[in-house]
Order: sequence, then C-alpha cells, then structure tokens
Amino acid sequence: MMDFSYMRPASLEAAGAGLASGGTLLGGGTGLLDLARLGIAQPQAVIDLTRLPGLDRIEVTGTEARIGALIKMSRLAAHPAMRAALPAVGQSLLASASPQIRNMATIGGNLLQRTRCAYFRDASFGSCNRRNPGSGCAAIGGVTRGHALLGTSAHCIATHPGDLAVALVALDAVVETWSPDGPRALSIHDFFLAPGATPEKEFALASGDIVTGLRIPLAPAAQRARYVKLRDRASYEFAAASIAAGLSLTDDGRVADIRIALGGVATIPWRARAVEAALRGQRPTPAAIAAAAALAMREAEPQHDNRHKLALVPALIERTLTEMIGDAA
Amino acid sequence: MSPPRPLTLIINGEPRALLVEPRTTLLDALRENLDLTGTKKGCDHGQCGACTVHVDGERVLACLTLAHQVEGARIATIEGLAGPDGTLHAVQKAFLAEDAFQCGYCTPGQIMSAVACIREGHAGSPEEIREFMAGNLCRCGAYPHIVAAVQRAAQALEQEALP
Amino acid sequence: MSPLDAPVKRGGAGDGLPVLGAALSRLDGVAKLEGSARFALDQPVEGLAHAVLARASIAAGRLLRIDTAAAEAAPGVLAVLTPQNTAPLAAASSWTGAAPARPHYRPLDAAIRHHGQQVAAVVAETLEQAAEAARLLVMHYEKAPAITGLDDPCAGDGTPIDMLSKSWGDAAAALEKAPVRLTLEYRTPREFNMPIEPHGLIAQWEGDELTLWEPSQWLDGMARTYAEWFGLRFDQVRIISPYIGGGFGSKALALPHGAIAALAARQLGRPVKLALTRSQTFTGLGGRPATRQVLELGATAGGRLLAIRQRGWNETSMDAVSVEPLGSVTGLMYALPHFDSRQNVVPVHTVQPGAKRAPGENPSAFGLESAIDELAHEVGQDPLALRLLNYAEHDHSSGKPWSTRKLREALAAGAVAFGWDRRDPTPRSMRDGHQLIGWGMAAGTYPVRRTAGEALVGILADGSVEVASSTADMGTGAHTILAQTAAEALGLPIGRVRVLLGDSRLPRAPVTGGSQMAGLMTGAVHKAALAAREALIELALSDPRSPLRGSGANTLRLEGGLLVAPDGAACDIPSVLQATGRARVEALRDTLAENRLKPEDHYRNFTTVSTMRAPTDGDYSMHSWCAHFVEVAVDEALQTIRLRRVVSAFDSGRLYNPKLAASQWKGGIIMGIGQALLEEGLVDHRHARLMNDNLGDYLLPTNADIPEIEVIDVGEPDPHASALGGKAVGELGIVGVAPAIANALFHATGKRLRSLPLTAHRLAEAG
Repeated sequence: MMDFSYMRPASLEAAGAGLASGGTLLGGGTGLLDLARLGIAQPQAVIDLTRLPGLDRIEVTGTEARIGALIKMSRLAAHPAMRAALPAVGQSLLASASPQIRNMATIGGNLLQRTRCAYFRDASFGSCNRRNPGSGCAAIGGVTRGHALLGTSAHCIATHPGDLAVALVALDAVVETWSPDGPRALSIHDFFLAPGATPEKEFALASGDIVTGLRIPLAPAAQRARYVKLRDRASYEFAAASIAAGLSLTDDGRVADIRIALGGVATIPWRARAVEAALRGQRPTPAAIAAAAALAMREAEPQHDNRHKLALVPALIERTLTEMIGDAA
Repeated sequence: MSPPRPLTLIINGEPRALLVEPRTTLLDALRENLDLTGTKKGCDHGQCGACTVHVDGERVLACLTLAHQVEGARIATIEGLAGPDGTLHAVQKAFLAEDAFQCGYCTPGQIMSAVACIREGHAGSPEEIREFMAGNLCRCGAYPHIVAAVQRAAQALEQEALP
Repeated sequence: MSPLDAPVKRGGAGDGLPVLGAALSRLDGVAKLEGSARFALDQPVEGLAHAVLARASIAAGRLLRIDTAAAEAAPGVLAVLTPQNTAPLAAASSWTGAAPARPHYRPLDAAIRHHGQQVAAVVAETLEQAAEAARLLVMHYEKAPAITGLDDPCAGDGTPIDMLSKSWGDAAAALEKAPVRLTLEYRTPREFNMPIEPHGLIAQWEGDELTLWEPSQWLDGMARTYAEWFGLRFDQVRIISPYIGGGFGSKALALPHGAIAALAARQLGRPVKLALTRSQTFTGLGGRPATRQVLELGATAGGRLLAIRQRGWNETSMDAVSVEPLGSVTGLMYALPHFDSRQNVVPVHTVQPGAKRAPGENPSAFGLESAIDELAHEVGQDPLALRLLNYAEHDHSSGKPWSTRKLREALAAGAVAFGWDRRDPTPRSMRDGHQLIGWGMAAGTYPVRRTAGEALVGILADGSVEVASSTADMGTGAHTILAQTAAEALGLPIGRVRVLLGDSRLPRAPVTGGSQMAGLMTGAVHKAALAAREALIELALSDPRSPLRGSGANTLRLEGGLLVAPDGAACDIPSVLQATGRARVEALRDTLAENRLKPEDHYRNFTTVSTMRAPTDGDYSMHSWCAHFVEVAVDEALQTIRLRRVVSAFDSGRLYNPKLAASQWKGGIIMGIGQALLEEGLVDHRHARLMNDNLGDYLLPTNADIPEIEVIDVGEPDPHASALGGKAVGELGIVGVAPAIANALFHATGKRLRSLPLTAHRLAEAG
C-alpha cells in the first residue's frame, strides 16, 4: 500500500475538511484497503470515520426505517425491528461476503463498493475507463462470464457487486449525505450511475459529499420483499444473479405494487421496470408471470461467455414471484 | 511520507506499545511488530479468513484493519484464548477431539471464528454452522470435522453456562 | 462430565490395545490450536529485511530494461534486484537427478516466458516499504506472440512422451470389431494447489552456510537444489520446516522465489523474508496443467470391455516438460484385453506446472470413470454392476497379481451405506421439488510408491524416546504415527515419545509425496526403534555397571518401560542408563537394503526421486483402492448444483491411525469436490494471462459447500506394500470424486459434461 497519513475526525465538519484537502474516507476498510493493496486506490490521507458519533443508529418508525451510515452490516442484519419490518434488507446482507467482513463493513461503505471486474482490479491493464477515463475497456472480449448484460456501454461492462444495494433499489430507499453546504437526500435510483460514456462516475455524489445514512419507506410491497441470491459457490461469493422482489396484491388478487431489482447482471443495481409494468394491475397467473419475467432481459447485451444468464434471470424472477404468491396465499 | 506513529493496542488484555506507519495493518503489526504469529496471513485481501481476530468481542479480518484504526479497542488473538494455566478453550478442545484441522495454518482463524460463531448464536444446526463458518477457507478439507467441533464446543459451553 | 472430556478415541495407548492403529488425536495438535506452532514465516529471526517480487505483465517476449530509480529512492529500500544486476546461479540437476541442460540458472530473467514471471525483487526494511517500492518499478518490454493454451492453433500437437506409451493386445483391431464403441473427449482446466499458507521463506547466510526457513515437503531434495545453485556442499545448506501450512504437491521443490530470497540475503548480508502474495502463488508456481484426453472404448453388447485406446495431451511451460500422465489408471482398473495409450506434452506460455494431489491418477480417473458410466448407460447396465462385470482379478498392465485389492469390498460397502439399490437408473427420474436428484458413483486408485527412508531413535536416560527424521508433517499426521510406531516397537506409552521432524540436519527422508511417507517412514522408525531396543538390552546385559548384569539372562524383554529378565528380575530404563553412565542409546537405521540399494546410493536416494520404486517392482502390483458414491441436487432453471452427500469406501491397507486417515480421505474428497464443481484457472487468451489469480475468483470450496461425508475403511494389512502393512492414503481420496459427481449430474439431468469444472453455466449451455 502506498504511504498515507491517517486521521480520525471527531465531527462531520472535520471529516469534510479532510475530504476537501484530498483525503479518502474509510468506513470499515474492507473495500479501501483491498483496493489500496492492489494499487487501484491510492489514498494520500485516510480519514477514518468509524468513530464519528451520531451515524450509528437504527430507527424503525411506523412509516420508515432510518439507518446510520456507520452501522455495520452484521448489526443491521440482526436488528429485530428491521428484520420484522424489511426482511429483504437482512437477507441481502446475510448473503453478502463473510461474517467477519459483515462485522467490519459499514452500510455507507457497502453502498460505495466498487466493481469486482478483474480488469478494473488489475492495475497492469492500462485500459480501464473506470480507472483511466478514455483508456478503453480491457474486459470487452476477454473473460467476462461475470460481467454485466444490462446497463452496459461500449465503454464499460463491469458488474455492480452489491447485494444490499439491490434490495435498496427495490425498496425505493433514499440516501442521505452531508457536505459543508448542508445535508442532502437523493433517491437510490439516482445514486448509482450506469457507465454510459463516463464509467469513472459511479455515484451521484459531489466531491465533498459524505454518505450519512439511509431512509427506507415502509410500503406494503417493501415490507414483504425478499432477496434471493444465486452463485456457484454456496457462500462467500458475489452473485451470478440475485433478485430483490416485493409484491402486494389488491383485495381481488391483482398486483397492487411490485418491485423487482436485479443484481449480478447489470452495471448498477437494476430495477426491472418492464417486468413490473407488465404485472401491475394484473392477476399474477403463472402465464402472466412468465410473460412478464421474459421481459427482464429483453434489452440485455450479453458477452460471448455470459449468455447463460439470459435464461437464468427470467427463471429467477418467475420462481421468486411464484413462491411469494404461494406464500401469501 | 507518514512516519511511524506510536500506538497502544490492548491485546489479550495487555496494553502493547508499538511504533507503526498508518498504513500498517493489524495483521502485519501483530506478526511483524509484536511477534504474535499465531494469526496467519493467507491472502491479505479478505478472501480466506486465516487472519480472523476479535475486536471488541467480534470477529474481524486483521488483514483489512489498520492497526491505528483499533487503537484502544480490545483485541483478542489465538494466543490469548487458552486459560492462563494453559487450559484449552472449549473450542480448542473440540478441534483436537474431532481432528478439525490438518496442517494447522487456517486453524487459528477457524478457532477465533468458531468462538464468535457460537457466541453470536449461529451454531444451532450443522447447516447454520456451515454458512457462518464459510468465511474461513480450509484447503486440507477439515470442514465436516470443523462443523462437528463447533457443535461439540457449543454444547459444552452451554453446559458450562448452566447453573 | 462435559462432552469435551468424554473419550473420543477408539483404542489408544492406555486401554490395552496396540498403540499403532489407535485413533489418537494429533500430537502436534495443541501447538497448532494455541497458535504457538511457528510456521516458516513465523520464525523470529533478528534483523530481517523484507523482499517483494515484481512480475512481468506480458506473457512472451523480452524485458528490455527496468527503471529502478524511483524504487531505489523510496524510503527504506535496501536493494533492487533485476536481471540486469543479478549474476546467474549454477543450474541445478532435476528432481530425477538428471543433469541440467544449461550451465546457468537465472531466477530473474529478461526472457519472458509466462505472464507473472518474476522479473525483479525489492528489498526494504519493512514489508510495506518493499511492496510499495515494487510498484514504482517501470518495465519496458519487447512483446512476442504467446501460445495461450492447448486450444491455441499455434500450440500444435506437442511432443510425444514415449515413456508414457503403454499397450498390450491389439486395441485398434479390437475396437474395429467391437459391437459397442464410444469415442469421448474429456478435459480438465488449470487447477491450483492453493494451500492457505502462501509459499515463501526466510533466507540467512552465515559465511558459506545458508539457512532457509521454508515450508518443504522434501527438505533433502530442496537442500540439494539450493546447494547446486549456490555452489555449496549439501551440508552447508540447512532447511528448517517445522510445520507446513498445506502443500498438496506444491512445496516439494525449490522454486525461483527461493533462489531470489537467498540471493538477496547474500547480497545484503542480512536475513531476508520473502512471501509470495496470494496472487503470486498463482503465477510463481503452477498447479495441475490443463489436460485433454480422447478415450475410445470398445465393448460387447453386454458391457464387457474389449479395448480402450487413449490419446492424451497436457500443457507444460516453455521451460521444461511437466507430465500429467493421463493413462495412469486407464489400463489398471478393469479386465482389459486390448489397450493402447499415448500422451503428448504441449508447451505453452504458462508458469511451470507442478504436482497437484494425485497428478496423473486424478484426471486419468476423471476420463475413465466418466467413460465407464457412459458405457453403462449405452448398454443399459447399472454402473456399479458394469464395474463388477469388468472387475480386474489381476493387473492386466503388468500381468502381476494384486498384492491386495479390496475394491470389490469398497464398492459393496459404499453401495450399501449409500443405499445404491434404491436408485432409479433412468436419468431425470429422481426429484425433490424443483431439484433434480442424481446419484453417481466412481472408483479410484493410487499406487504404492516406495523409497528408502532413514530414522534415528534414541532412548534417553529419563526414560523418554526421541524419534528424528527430516520428513515433514503437513497435516498428514507424521508426528503422530511415527510416535505411535516407536511406542509400539518399544512397548512404551506414547506420552514418552517425542518426534523431531522438518530439519534437513536430521536423518534423511525422501519426498513427502506420492502418499509414500507413512509406509516408508513407519518402516524406518520401526527398524530403528527395534535396533535401539536391542542396543539397550545389550547394554543392560553386558555393561559391568548394569543392574541386570548379574541376572545371568542372555536376553531381556522391554515391557512398559521395564527391562525384564526371564526370571522376573526387572529394572527401569533410567536406572540402567544412569548406572551405565549413558545419556542415551540410539540407533540410526535406513531401509536402503530393503529397497535393493547400496550405502553409496544414500545421497541419491534422499535427494532425487530416481530410486522411487514402481508399484509393480517385485512380485505384485500394489495399489490403494476406493469407491465414491455421491448425491447431487440440480436446479436447472436456477442453474444451481449442490452436493447433498458423499459415501466413500477405501482400501488403504493397514491404517496406522484411523482418525487421521479419515481426515486425509475426507480432505481428498473435498479437494475433489472443489475440482469437480468450482476450480478453474480462467485464461484471457488475448493476453495468455490468468484472470482469477485470487481466492475470491478462483473458488475453493467453503464449509457451506460440503455436505456430510461418510468414509468407510475396508482395507487389510498389505505385507508387500510396506513394512507395517499400510498403503497410500493422502492422494487416494481425490481420485474418482470428480467423475462420481459428473456421473451423478448425468443421472440427475441426462446431460453429460466432459469438461471440468461441472459448473451450472456449462450445464445450461449443454442445452
């Protein structure tokens, strides 16, 4: 790791000042130190936020959950009120990483985790538009079994690695930030940026922004949402595909609200709006679900070695929705 | 450059003073500065679990923790697990009884993880133990015996806790 | 009573049963559990400097120069070693003892022959400083086209390896006439050993004496290589390897990073510690090379095998030939009238492959045991019944009788424990909800390899016993079984025995590999222990100061630590040694003569593999045997494959410690599960470069991947295989696991995958 200085600010203002003078924020450290050792992150000054007061609260009210950015993944996953109110959050967290990493990584840091694209993570590849804007994409045409099929561009096909983020996208969460200009709230749907022509811009954060927390509204579909993750290894692996799905039905058995977000197959946590639209207001019959699920990958652009996900994702949607309806009945 | 800075770590109940650079990880500080080599380096990227230690009672990876980050926290390593008279911890005894290790390299991490796994209440069934011990790779393939050892130790600790 | 205090061992030193064969816990266990067991890189050596390697980012070509100024100016940097400033070493002979082809060896070489080849080393005061300075090196290359693997059109067909050609009968003619004929191609990818302890060492010079703390499966062989590289006498090199954090074949040879660390230590006059990063353990040494084999099977309509013809290819590096003998088990398992097997080796731009658990037998069995399952399906027979139909009553390859072969018993015991008779033979016939259930089985084998060993057994004045050998315990249980052997031979409680291993200054041992350690070293220790006992008795009878001198006996027994005369007069060991003024009696014995070697073969025997005996050397053909039965669950829609249970039965001959043998077998099975379902080196063929050089992307099985595993011992002592009756244990377990899983997958889905690993995406692509 390159040489860096270390500070442990006692307030957001002090952290903000450190950030303004070129510092890099450290939450749990599981992302930053990994990337620093690879030479991908090159912090000059590390600002350790882990002891910043006030960002470690979980609060569940009648209408929403509020989660401080410095909450550890394991604590959020085990929080009884959260588990009761929003089970998909805990499910997504427990499907992530390992128990040790979940004890270290913060919710804020987890939101900001970087792609696992091997071409991004190996500094000896000169071409990576995320690392060096305009340098090209070494991944396209290479080993891309785990790369994205949705939200890709000619400049980047790196998969978003998150689990929690997928759940949050399904749950219409709101990200709260602080900067010297004051606090700000932005929709999770605006938070992650698909690569487009500027893969280096991964998050809709301004340079002085510090993620301070999350708010998740308690809609009925969100409260019954679940998270399912598929992978070759039974544990401790990033998703081959994952889904966060929420559903509520009207009294006459039609789809009132539906949320479907996908992980492991897109450059950002991917909301499958076309699938939702096809089912909203409809009776969720097996045929309707199958037809809707088939829409998920309609705009997918597979690589030579990840075409198997074209069938996998609709099957995952179909299975998950069918089981949710079965369980609700 | 950032010169080494003095730091006091509370390791296995003892304050230990050392002088390390900000970039030094807890793992390298334990191994290279404090001669506590029971904690092992397997990957240095949070992908194997060999460096598992406890910080304030919770299992974490020492390879992705800066030494300065845990200043003042209570750090427990494998060296501090047995009693002062050398009596093995219930998990250590169970590992021996079940032959839950071969080469022994991942073992300190497995044991620290297992102690936490039981304490967290994640040792209720073989399935649960497998999932909550999945962050500790063992290439010798001691997994079934590790599951048996965690079950055995969990039962023993439960009995010890009874009045 | 706490369950922890409940007895868990069957048999044992204290319960009247023999010590050898008792299910004792590991004697080196407590040190490993307490964290006090110091592995090589844990050694407290004063004044250490830290070295970090820098690697080539191209796969073929030439390193024109390295800009080192920034690295040299970085804080704490002591030296930067490059091909430009490092003189070559003398080339060492090979592990077979063959003389080197070239006079010089350059561990840092400007000629680049694989991606990730080490091209420089930075030595600094701290690890952090060395790692950061290594990143500041700027390499300038002249790139050349690279051959990326077996499928590269430029790779060609490779070189035939004549010594692997094997044939009897007339396979071509028999295939021509065979009523049933199958032609099948099987592949295995690059696999990596990946012990959790990374490779690395501490090197220290004192004058012309070189000490290396380095994990080693073969201290004597590695010491010879270092001695030849640096122009030293063998006894000027000392390797200390007290514990090994797993090797699985990858820690038997001295490797370039070892030479570099020793060079740096010599140059600086300071001890140097060099540990490969995890990524460098994928590029600094190779594992199992990628393989391809084509099997042609001819059989009768009833499933009786008539002939097998095999063609195999494995990749090797541009530097040297590595063979992964794909015909190892093909002609061995079944009664086979006609056989023809050949193999080519294909050089590609990759790191030199190594030996990964059961090199040869493992991929060989993947091909054969998959093909047998395909034949069973083709002729409408149960795969187990087909194996019994073709059971080989003797070794058709050598024509010799088996020493012992409990394969039939293994098949039967495994089948019963698994419940094989409840299997519906029709593919896709067994279900559990969304899961297709598949039951598959396969057999495996591993040869009995034999090399002479040497051991010192000392009986000390305090009544304790010391066993010493340079053999290694990498979790195999050497400490424990050698103590059991000595305790048994001397009639002493095991607690009196101390075992010293892992130091090349100790009596010699050959490579701890090929599953030969237990058989040969128990033999050497047993022999030395009996000789030490005789020396003690001789002393007690003949020394004028001995308390038993006057007993008039002409022989004594050693029982429970007492020397006992026929008339019942007895005296304990300390009394005899103290009275006779001796600190110890000891015996150093080797088993060269038993292996038809002469005293002058001593050095060659222990530092090369040239004296290792074939399993058919002698009157018998000697092998271990096993049978695996597995259940898989496949969710086709969700592209998920999970293993549900494994039952395996083994004939490893006599078990010296069944508890530790069971661990070895299960460990082999689990490595086989990883091989079958997860492990694959992914190469970007545009760059001839491995893309998953880390433990997040090269997937080893986790605890959550491993179901219940039942192992069954069906062996009996084999008097021909080893002095005390044991056969191979450690390498055996992995052989046959991958085909058993592939066969179960076929049973579940009706789809046959012939390339490892058997991943869900391959299954999906199979349509």
